[in-house]
Amino acid sequence: MMKKTNIKPWVGYLIFGLTVFLVFCLIFESSIQLPSLVAWLGRWHPLILHFPIVLLVVAIFLGLTTNKIPKLLLVVATISALLTAISGFMLAVDASEKGDLLIWHQRLGSAVAFLAVLWYVLVTLNLARTILIKVLQVVLGITIFFAGHYGGMVTHGEDFLALPTLGNKSNIIPENPLIYAHIVQPILDDKCISCHNGNKKKGELLLTNFKEIKKGGENGEIIDETDYKNSTILKLVHLPLEDENHMPPEGKPQLSISEIQILERWIALGANDTLQLSHLNSDETLVGLVRKLQQPTVKKDWSKLPEIDDEVLKNLNSNYVNITRFANQSNALNVIVFTAPTYNDSIFIELDPIAKNIVQLDLSALPLGEQAISFIAKCVNLEWLEVDKTSFTDENLEKLKGLTKLEVIKAYDTEITDKSLAVFENFKNLKKMYVAQTNITINALDAFKKEHQNISVDAGINPSIETFFVVKEKDTVAVKKEE
Amino acid sequence: MEKEKKSDSENPLKVNRRHFFSQLSVGIGSLALGSLLIPDLFKGKGEGLLGQELGIPHFAPKAKRIIYLFQAGAPSQLETFDYKPTLKKRMGEDLPESIRNGQRLTGMTSGQSKFPLMPPAVKFNQHGQSGAWVSEFFPHIAKISDEICFVKSMHTEAINHDPAITFFQTGSQQSGRPSMGSWMSYGLGNENKNLPSFVVLTSRGKGNSQGLYSKLWSSGFLDSKHQGVLLRSGKDPVLYLNDPDGLSRSDKRHLLDKVSSLNKIHHVETGDDEIESRIAQYEMAYRMQMSVPDVMDIKKEPESVIKLYGEDCQVPGTYAANALQARRLAENGVRFIQLYHQGWDQHGNLTNEMRGQAKDVDQASAALILDLKQRGMLEDTLVVWGGEFGRTNFCQGNFNPDNFGRDHHPRAFSIWMAGGGIKPGITYGKTDEFGYNVVENPVHINDFHATLMHAMGINHEELTYKYQGRRFRLTDVAGNVVKDILT
Repeated sequence: MMKKTNIKPWVGYLIFGLTVFLVFCLIFESSIQLPSLVAWLGRWHPLILHFPIVLLVVAIFLGLTTNKIPKLLLVVATISALLTAISGFMLAVDASEKGDLLIWHQRLGSAVAFLAVLWYVLVTLNLARTILIKVLQVVLGITIFFAGHYGGMVTHGEDFLALPTLGNKSNIIPENPLIYAHIVQPILDDKCISCHNGNKKKGELLLTNFKEIKKGGENGEIIDETDYKNSTILKLVHLPLEDENHMPPEGKPQLSISEIQILERWIALGANDTLQLSHLNSDETLVGLVRKLQQPTVKKDWSKLPEIDDEVLKNLNSNYVNITRFANQSNALNVIVFTAPTYNDSIFIELDPIAKNIVQLDLSALPLGEQAISFIAKCVNLEWLEVDKTSFTDENLEKLKGLTKLEVIKAYDTEITDKSLAVFENFKNLKKMYVAQTNITINALDAFKKEHQNISVDAGINPSIETFFVVKEKDTVAVKKEE
Repeated sequence: MEKEKKSDSENPLKVNRRHFFSQLSVGIGSLALGSLLIPDLFKGKGEGLLGQELGIPHFAPKAKRIIYLFQAGAPSQLETFDYKPTLKKRMGEDLPESIRNGQRLTGMTSGQSKFPLMPPAVKFNQHGQSGAWVSEFFPHIAKISDEICFVKSMHTEAINHDPAITFFQTGSQQSGRPSMGSWMSYGLGNENKNLPSFVVLTSRGKGNSQGLYSKLWSSGFLDSKHQGVLLRSGKDPVLYLNDPDGLSRSDKRHLLDKVSSLNKIHHVETGDDEIESRIAQYEMAYRMQMSVPDVMDIKKEPESVIKLYGEDCQVPGTYAANALQARRLAENGVRFIQLYHQGWDQHGNLTNEMRGQAKDVDQASAALILDLKQRGMLEDTLVVWGGEFGRTNFCQGNFNPDNFGRDHHPRAFSIWMAGGGIKPGITYGKTDEFGYNVVENPVHINDFHATLMHAMGINHEELTYKYQGRRFRLTDVAGNVVKDILT
């Protein structure tokens, strides 16, 4: 069945040696560290991987059709499969964190190499039974396909090979989203349309676009604009999970509580496709729910901060300026400046190169000048700012308008007035502001609080509690007497 | 994977010795080649395996500093936050054996033939939106109950003060390990390089008290720069920090420069790193001469703050003064501020003594929370209030509701935490109706340590120090982060 070709014995040793080497690498993967030259060899993986694919596919084709495979072809294919697996392994050792795709690609790639070796061994030892070899060839073919597929996804992204119609999902929610298009439909896409789409139309219901949603299914409309609680879609969602009619059915991914709330509020507000976030009053629960959805994109930005060198940080740190990474290997920085006996604003000139990396900045109790303020304005990724106990003014805050990522501002005991409230309003991500002991009037602040319920405003200790602390009632402690 | 040339034999699986060895050599050769890729293969697991760079949190922290209000002597959970009406209903009855279940006793109650249940000495009410139960001994803490998280299911192993407080402070009942604050200092470094990262303040109430000793804030086997610095009340907060009369600050500077240059020469000669750390400590002491008096000076505090903490806070050495001081230290970047208030060991005269103790700490503790909150510091400052164990639900000695005491009880007690990544307004864990055993969500001291470290951005399993041949950590070989109370 094989053509007898005279192949030198060292070829057998080579295959055997490479196989042992690959097994070794896979077992001791976690403790292996590659010298840079060897790691560089890994870069050849994308080049040589094409050989085993072609050669093995040709060998399988020949095997399945003619049963005559030149031994030399099998040898070269096996060696190339081993080399590919080893080089791929070397490439992967460098990857800081292996995703699922990479792990599967690695397993399948190694499987290809081992199957090829097995094939070679069976042939060499004349142990090959036709049926055994055929099964092996088919399995090998399938393994090559999936190894290649995962490899492709590793290089080109997971969606690269997805069919065009399924691949246009975008998770980015704009600043002022359309409630239906940007919020509601993605929820349906995620949890519902796997059964309610053009191909699989359970209950004659399509949930892929607004028109079809309005139309309903075989049991009529699913949305009741007059009484939202009466809407079929909400009723089914609210049924207990064990109920046969509960949607999505048991075993499928379920809607989260906030997703249900979003659907509910959207329907309560008339279930139309023109509603936008800016149309809503700030006390509408939907606003908070949508804001929550928008948040995660902000946090992820930390990974996009510019690289920063340990040496740079070391040089900038001083007795009165404390700069630390937010966490191990993070480029997000936390900067605290303490009052030095010889403080002056010029220290910020040195900090200029790291301005974009600063996520938290504590400048409390410093005699801040103009230079300091313009430095803060440069920290565009700032999420947390402390300027309390300073002479910070409305004009200063006005200059910081561009810091859109700010979530926490501590500005108590400063000179800001009602004017600043307009600036606070502009920080779209603002969650907490501390403005006790400022010149902001109570009335203006109350109005601000009413309008911005998603911002927690701290204007000092609750007066009723403070009175309790300050006015001493004698013997407030009542000791229980026996009756 | 044996193979051979066809001519050797009819049977392909038959391998002769020579071929076997030649193939074996290829196999071993490949293994040897592979082993070259593992550095330190034959070095054994040595130094430098500390997986973690010091001075940086392991992940983004919720809390940047901790204020620990330690109530030394162990306040009774039954007169503070763990309300047990059953004790009233079954007052005077013997504690059922099924509940006591073999719990060991201290020498003070082991001779008792009866364990009569003693009801709480004070009324309880529910407070705030969370409906937390707080005894009337603590009217101010009751007012802020929505800001704090009560943990009612703490338990420990020790039954006497010394091992119990040592366990709380160092993670071990035997002394010698570094204190919690030292571990934080070791793992996270100084925030403000002009102040120590671990500071201790002590005060004493009128109740029956137990000793405090510097081993509780010792750095154990860690570098001594991580040791807690005891700030004393009065003129000299830090002993020997001030210069003698006649030495001006510039003279001092001159002196330090000279000493340091001599030290540097010595360092070049010997290469001993301790010399560098000594130079750094001289420099820090020099800066502390400026920073400490500034931090300790509460005269700058406005009237409203003084009133909030209570007039006592103007008297140096009181708990209230220390609480206010703690806030000032936290503001100035001290990582771990440890307060101790002595006098909570109520073996007798519990009602009166506890009322006095509570009066010492109630307002100032609550004021600290409010003060931190209005400054936005509760966002990243974690406050803990609690003692080293709980107290028995039966009385010590004969049953006499007018004057009774409670003995030590390790199986269940209450503490509270607030701020810095801890969920506000919740109660975690539950004891049985007798307040004797934990029935829900137990929190061991190791778990408590792990949780505190987690809030500070430290993985408690990774912060280790190798000493006497093995790696130590604050939680040693135990501890689970209590995720349910974290935000």
